[in-house]
Amino acid sequence: MKTGDGGVITTKLEEAMEWGRSNSLWPLTFGLACCAIEMMATQASNLDISRFGSEIFRNSPRQSDLMIVAGTVTKKMAPRVRRIYDEMPYPKYVIAMGACVVQGGPYVEGYSVVLGVDRVVPVDVYVPGCPPTPEALTYGIITLQKKIRGETER
Amino acid sequence: MNYTVQVIGESVGKDGRKIIKVTKENFLDLMKDLKNQGFDHLSLITGVDRKDFMEVVYHLHSMKTNEYVVVKVETRDYKVPSVAGLWNSANWDEREQYDLLGIIFEGHPNLKRLFLPENWVGHPLRKNYDMKKTQYINMDEEGNDYATFDERGGW
Repeated sequence: MKTGDGGVITTKLEEAMEWGRSNSLWPLTFGLACCAIEMMATQASNLDISRFGSEIFRNSPRQSDLMIVAGTVTKKMAPRVRRIYDEMPYPKYVIAMGACVVQGGPYVEGYSVVLGVDRVVPVDVYVPGCPPTPEALTYGIITLQKKIRGETER
Repeated sequence: MNYTVQVIGESVGKDGRKIIKVTKENFLDLMKDLKNQGFDHLSLITGVDRKDFMEVVYHLHSMKTNEYVVVKVETRDYKVPSVAGLWNSANWDEREQYDLLGIIFEGHPNLKRLFLPENWVGHPLRKNYDMKKTQYINMDEEGNDYATFDERGGW
């Protein structure tokens, strides 16, 4: 990126697109269990994620870019999660929030829980914790923004 | 509280609720008696797997006097008379117990699984449920769930 003297910025089209995408990540209103409470706290006024461009939680998967899977994914819910993910338009991103979503959490020996949502949908960022604090989820969203801009190291 | 039915034992739980133990034969008469005495709200039905028998626990509540009573009945053949004719909320409570513990409520109008798909094998809250055989759930085009043992066929 080069800054010109007359207030002109020259950049690549891809970089401009990535910058735009990463700064307007609209999440989906989608909570499955107790992590959804922390997700709501992340969105609410104290730790406002609209500071980072995640302006508003959309109620339709067709208008959202980011799915925050917040809460235990049961085997019964997994086909529904997949269907909602399929309804989202490209480009779309997934954050796995909480121990249950990452690998099953305390239900790892149970009969009814999917051992990690990455068996159902591709995951971009994992946020561990039981439940993760709102700060951790905010950090996860910032990490995802860096990933979209190609700034992260894998 | 006075009832004409012969009961096995009476005690008081830690939470102060009266516990009545009754045989399966006298169970339905006792429940009818209690309903006539003002226990108009069936709070919950739960089941306990005691390995050689099943225990079914009913929590009844009276809206007028704010009293609770607990009725316990034991069964060895997994069969208990249904109380869905007395309290309508028993309908889904009994379906839940049938789903997860396999207790058969005789006289229930619609005894089908409540949570799990119809073709799920076994009742998962039983002590002898085989946890090594993982089952997976998928959804067909019409939105109905089905269970499968195939790892690639579901989640």
